[in-house]
Amino acid sequence: MLDAAFLVRRQAPGLLLSGLCYAGGLAFGLAVSAVLLVQAGVPAAALVDEFLIATFLTSDGLAQTVTAALPLVLVGLASAVAMRVRFWNIGVEGQLWLGAVASTWIGLGGTGPDALRLPAMLLLSAAIGAAWIAIPLVLKLRFGVSEVISTLLLGSVAFLLVQHLLFGVWRDPATGFPVTAAFLEAARFPSLGWGQLHGGLFVVGIVAVLVWFMLGHTRAGFYADAVGLNPKAARAAGLPATATVVGLVLLSGALSGLAGMTIVAGTEHRLNQSVGSGYLFSAIVIAYLAGARPFWVVVVALALGAVFTAGSVLKVFYGISEGMIVLVQGTVLISILMAQFFGTYSLSRPGRGEAS
Amino acid sequence: MDFLVGWIAIVPSYATPLLLASLGLIVCERAGILNLGAEGLMAVGAMTGAIAVLSGLDPWAALAAGAAAGTALALLFGLATVVMRADHTLSGLAVVAVGLGLTSVVGRPYMQKTFPGIASFGDLFDIDRTTALGRIVAVQDPVTLAMPVLVALLWWWLMKSGSGLRLRAVGENPAAADVAGIDVQLAQLGAVLVSGLLCGLAGAYLCVATSHVWVEGMIAARGWVAVALVIFARWNPARALVGALVFGSADALVPRLQAIGADIPVYLAMMLPYLLTLVVLVASSMAGRASGEPSFLGRIYLRQDKH
Repeated sequence: MLDAAFLVRRQAPGLLLSGLCYAGGLAFGLAVSAVLLVQAGVPAAALVDEFLIATFLTSDGLAQTVTAALPLVLVGLASAVAMRVRFWNIGVEGQLWLGAVASTWIGLGGTGPDALRLPAMLLLSAAIGAAWIAIPLVLKLRFGVSEVISTLLLGSVAFLLVQHLLFGVWRDPATGFPVTAAFLEAARFPSLGWGQLHGGLFVVGIVAVLVWFMLGHTRAGFYADAVGLNPKAARAAGLPATATVVGLVLLSGALSGLAGMTIVAGTEHRLNQSVGSGYLFSAIVIAYLAGARPFWVVVVALALGAVFTAGSVLKVFYGISEGMIVLVQGTVLISILMAQFFGTYSLSRPGRGEAS
Repeated sequence: MDFLVGWIAIVPSYATPLLLASLGLIVCERAGILNLGAEGLMAVGAMTGAIAVLSGLDPWAALAAGAAAGTALALLFGLATVVMRADHTLSGLAVVAVGLGLTSVVGRPYMQKTFPGIASFGDLFDIDRTTALGRIVAVQDPVTLAMPVLVALLWWWLMKSGSGLRLRAVGENPAAADVAGIDVQLAQLGAVLVSGLLCGLAGAYLCVATSHVWVEGMIAARGWVAVALVIFARWNPARALVGALVFGSADALVPRLQAIGADIPVYLAMMLPYLLTLVVLVASSMAGRASGEPSFLGRIYLRQDKH
């Protein structure tokens, strides 16, 4: 098949070439997605309107995009910090669900004075997210269980727990629907008076800056890079490899838990069956497209926030399922993955290349 | 006793999709390609099967259509991993996203519409349902009956035949296989397509033969359970049969308990298959070297690299 020509790994692919491959893959993926959207019944002329103008260039749209991007930044960072130490956190959704559950418990009046309600929700959601990822972490470090499967399965378990609560003790007594009652006023982020945008913006901003600083400017970030590039070499050099992995993976879980908190305390003000859906692939796609770099995570999260905003509009006006967002994410991801081929390898004809 | 008979009777229909998917994954991973896309492949197979039946096709043709759809999506995965040497984990996740997204968008008009499934032995033959054995046999269908045969054939092919040995060689040491004159890429691409075929069939069976209705998200992480089942099975089709029966039993327990009206916390009980999977993974991982994992699983082969 391809053996007619040798694949040679490029020693140092140039910035221009990598950039071209990335842009080409992105453009191809978006083009395919656009075709799929048109096939699904969205007029081609409406695409620019819905995805660009209504999401960034109008005040309401921009507010909605930024609001949607807040939890996306957190889950993107969650996936990114784990990726840095080569840990696949495919259970972002599970940690997010549990963070939302913990916040709901306090938000419905669980315990404590009102002044401490929001801080308690922040701490508890982060703690429970970290605790939930600690299970796959221990299973991996102690028994070598693949974290890809264990994190994902624990995500399903977390969602079933949410179902159990929503169809049980937390079912709205007024309507009988599987949603909780609305949160206490003290358990909601204050509105910033621009669309649905809420005080969670400051939390997400501070967290993003802290993660950026930690990864780029501290010893822990340096250790993380060393462990991610070559765990054996890092260990041989005397770096605290295991502690670094443990720290970053727990941080990943905490960030996901926090994302759940910002959703229920910021926009929904209650727990329902859909607050956590759609974040699994978003987290992976954001972290991968951003190259696991915090600054770019924020940029990609904003772009994806626009897709989320447009997605909810398309659902209302054209009856298109939210699954469209997942389809676009998958299409763009595999397109960019395949485009990397042209940057990573060069073809050389047999005879000229070095035979094995 | 009544409960037990009813439970045993439906276990094969729950075990069959898990078994089909894990057999496909075993073939694929024996060739060195880590396939995490099973969930997406099964989703596409299930939806295609439902659309085929609802469009008036014979249920058997619908199973074939589901298998074909899984194969088509697997071709994309093969193109990414085998031909373009993309990362297996990320490509697999992308396939899951494409599969789940596509079924959600395309399948929306076909949601919640029930349809007749494939005929069971009770429909085909006159079986005395007064005995326990009769009641169990009556609800089986030709596909479940074919499963042991398929497992035996696949085991023989993979472990005893020349071409099976060549496939395993590709997954263990592609450089050696390459030198021996085996077309590594062709073998891997073929293995990927087989996994797509069997995962698609698994999804279609789940939809057409078991549930008789398509709903979004009906695979419910069974593709991931199949991925774990492969590890439990140590990449051996015969052990996959045992594993599928164990997981199928756990999967069938909740609907069975609901059917007899038992008062149990349903959602907590539904966690059982997932928690069981985790326990089994830990046990399998402790086996260490005996795990049977293909040495080159998930790695990228370039002819001139020193592996």
